[in-house]
Amino acid sequence: MIPGKYRSVSGRAANNVNCGLHLVIQTSSLPEKSKVEFKLNKETPSFSGRLLQHDLERNYSSRQGDHIHLASSSMPSFPILQRSSEEKILYSDRLTLERQKLTVCPIIDGEEHLRLLNFQHNFITRIQNISNLQRLIFLDLYDNQIEEISGLSTLRSLRVLLLGKNRIKQISNLENLKSLDVLDLHGNQITKIENVSHLCDLRVLNLARNLLSHVDNLNGLDSLTELNLRHNQITFVRDVDNLPCLQRLFLSFNNISTFESVCCLADSSSLSDITFDGNPIAQESWYKHTILQNMMQLRQLDMKRVTEEERRMASVVAKKEEEKKRESHKQSLLKEKKRLTINNVARKWDLQQHRIPNIAPNQDRKVSDSSQDPSQLHGSTVSAFPEETGSLDSGLTNDLQGLSVTDTHLVEVDGDTLSLYGSGALESLDRNWSVQTAGMVTTVSFTFIEFDEIVQVLPKLKIKFPNSLHLKFKETNLVMLQQFNALAQLRRVDQLTIDPQGNPVVNFTLWKYYVLFRLSHFSMQKINGTEVTQNDMIMAERLFGILAHVASSELPQYRMISILGDARKKQFRYLLETKGKKPGLVNEENNDSKRLVGENTNRAMLNYTTRDFYNERLEEIKEKKKFCKMYMEDLVKEATEINMKNEALQKLWPQMFIELVRDAVIEIRNKNSYMKLCLQQITDQN
Amino acid sequence: MLSPDRLALPDYEYLAQRHVLTYMEDAVCQLLENKEDISQYGVARFFTEYFNSVCQGTHILFREFSFIQATPHNRASFLRAFWKCFRTVGKNGDLLTMREYHCLLQLLCPDFPLELTQKAARIVLMDDAMDCLMSFSDFLLAFQIQFYYSEFLESVAAIYQDLLAGKNPNTVIVPTSSSGQHRQRPPLGEASVLEGVEASLFSQCLENLCDRHKYSCPPPALVKEVLSNVQRLTFYGFLVALSKHHGINQALGALPDKGDLMHDPAMDEELERLVVRSRLHRTSWQHRAEEPRAFGFQRRDKLEARESVPSASAPSPCPYRWEPRE
Repeated sequence: MIPGKYRSVSGRAANNVNCGLHLVIQTSSLPEKSKVEFKLNKETPSFSGRLLQHDLERNYSSRQGDHIHLASSSMPSFPILQRSSEEKILYSDRLTLERQKLTVCPIIDGEEHLRLLNFQHNFITRIQNISNLQRLIFLDLYDNQIEEISGLSTLRSLRVLLLGKNRIKQISNLENLKSLDVLDLHGNQITKIENVSHLCDLRVLNLARNLLSHVDNLNGLDSLTELNLRHNQITFVRDVDNLPCLQRLFLSFNNISTFESVCCLADSSSLSDITFDGNPIAQESWYKHTILQNMMQLRQLDMKRVTEEERRMASVVAKKEEEKKRESHKQSLLKEKKRLTINNVARKWDLQQHRIPNIAPNQDRKVSDSSQDPSQLHGSTVSAFPEETGSLDSGLTNDLQGLSVTDTHLVEVDGDTLSLYGSGALESLDRNWSVQTAGMVTTVSFTFIEFDEIVQVLPKLKIKFPNSLHLKFKETNLVMLQQFNALAQLRRVDQLTIDPQGNPVVNFTLWKYYVLFRLSHFSMQKINGTEVTQNDMIMAERLFGILAHVASSELPQYRMISILGDARKKQFRYLLETKGKKPGLVNEENNDSKRLVGENTNRAMLNYTTRDFYNERLEEIKEKKKFCKMYMEDLVKEATEINMKNEALQKLWPQMFIELVRDAVIEIRNKNSYMKLCLQQITDQN
Repeated sequence: MLSPDRLALPDYEYLAQRHVLTYMEDAVCQLLENKEDISQYGVARFFTEYFNSVCQGTHILFREFSFIQATPHNRASFLRAFWKCFRTVGKNGDLLTMREYHCLLQLLCPDFPLELTQKAARIVLMDDAMDCLMSFSDFLLAFQIQFYYSEFLESVAAIYQDLLAGKNPNTVIVPTSSSGQHRQRPPLGEASVLEGVEASLFSQCLENLCDRHKYSCPPPALVKEVLSNVQRLTFYGFLVALSKHHGINQALGALPDKGDLMHDPAMDEELERLVVRSRLHRTSWQHRAEEPRAFGFQRRDKLEARESVPSASAPSPCPYRWEPRE
């Protein structure tokens, strides 16, 4: 609004020219205009056509009784304006040259006390010839073709400068207008706010419908109360907190999308009225309560009063958001920790598998000679675990500094999946799992653990997690088909997933069929994600059926018993080792033994003993073997001795027999002497 | 039985030749290991079963490698068992890598050494591209040679190396039982730039070797036959020829002829029965029958499994109900 003292004293109603500022510019009414204008007719002025300068001259010269005399000046292009003395006296401080089809500012002669000058709706391209109007307070150049602010340097009293709807490209040459109160630059082509810092009396600044992309450089505008920035391309706002008096800020129809880009508004205590409609930010779900929460001083938002209810809601929602953010922060922290642990386990596993060369150079040779297959495995598994994508905000990384990465194993229960990383995790199976948790687990996943170690805890697994139907193995060193035999002791397996990474057995052509064959009593549904078909089962049977048949029918009885006995012994080994024997456990034993026989027993012969156990057993047998050898040697010695004696006897016997017979015959030759000899022998015996 | 040459040998030698002691020792060892189980049905029966299985060739199943390697009969039985069990793999036409064959071997003998399998594979692949796929029959025949005659082949390799290097082993006095056999040998030609060695020279060295190794060497006549066909040959060429020679196969007696390698009517019949049975078994699972099913044919082994859908006795939420076997 124009300050009251500059309104028309006569209080005449006049045209309200709204140039977006809610400014009401009182201009002289039509009849008055006719008097002031350099139109010859005193009646309604003619607006028709576009009159060029010489037309005007023609008009002037042809009319009579004109009050205005347009004479040619020394400068051929500028018309000179003169008013009749009556009008000069009547409207001494104001001059309206609206819609006069002016292309240039005319030279205004003898009007040095002019205070209001209205050039609206013309075609003026440059502000000129008004330097002498040093009392000018109100200058209206709305809707012209001005390209540059200039020619105002003498107008030190100017209070209202209306330059809306022109072609101004930048704010400049306002240095001397220190009293400026209202500056209207809407509808121009201004790209940045500049050269306004000295306008400490400025209260209204209108920069609507320009080409501003951001707002800053607002320091020095200590009286600014209203700032209109509608219909620009503003993406961020700064320095508004440097405006101590700013009450109204209109940012409608710009390009603001986050609160951070206008965060300086929160620091402005004077703001009471703000509009954001037509910005991307107004479409967001969190828009209203974020603004309200951050700008408690606001009274109106988007031209609507802010109620207490809204404010309360805003704070509630903001609190909830805070909670959520804290929660997600915690979650990402946990996830990160998990990832680090897994990486640690992976590294340890790789070292164990001799995949990563040791740091010490003299150990390199030893590593490369190891009997594992280092040459076939490329790179380490650490790289196989992708970094958690997505930004970890700075707060997170700070917290992570405190995390220790000395964990060597990880146990995780996630709904229905139990994941074990690292061989240390196997001990967690001893923990007291709640029945509910344990009952929900249907999938067990082993990673970075030697399969031979897993085999030893399978009985525990069977008991503690009775519903585990899906087993997953990754990086577990499955190298032999035989190892699958160990899985037969479980209660039931529906699905088996063997990840090729770290499990060379998957490279074999026949591994799936062998699994189906050996674990046929499970009637598995899926292996590595693919359904098991009838044909698969038949093929498995075809390939290995004879093996089972041979194993069961052609083994001698005692071997079968001993092999079965071994298996049972191993199972019970765990059960004997458990700390507390609950009555339920005894039932399990019975069921196990029955089930063992219930399984397809011709396959039960096919067992898997881990390499360590096997060697242990062979060691144990060595003693027995030595004893047997010695025993047999003794037997053989005895036998050969007897044989020798037998043979010797065979050789000697004929001779001996002949001699015996000869002796006997010789003895009995003489009957009488023989009888005497016998009687003698009998009496001697007595 | 009472042949003169049998009686001509002294005791220990006779026993050693027939490996009687090996089997006796092993039998006693097994007896000691399984005391509790065997005492149930008597020692005599145990010995009967043991020697029956030795005769049938089933004694080597799932035994440790040291035992399997101990006698030629064991080795032959093992070869036969391997053929019997995995003939179906060959019949199916699958080509497998050396490692997979080794895996199959390990199913029958858990500590079978990898080197032997590797050597066998080298024979098939002519020492080239060890990751190549091999057919069952090729592998089996090469494996037979390698396993059965492993010591012999080692010596042959040494001789071959010597010949390649130009050394003439004939000038070295052979320090074994074949004493005084210092025959006249034709002078050795220079180490040739051609591949391999001269067949005739090689043949004579091998003859020498065969005399030293009294057993565990292929019949010398056949070896000569193999070498007579060619002028020069490489080590692996020789082995390949050896493995493919069907006379040697027959002499070993473990495997049928190469042409019949996939045929085993008795086992095929058995297999069909098993397949049918497994089909029925699977169908019964799929239909989740509640009542137990008995199958028509009885199997010969004592511990027969009766196909039944058991019900739960332990309180577990498992959807399948288990019932104790009767």
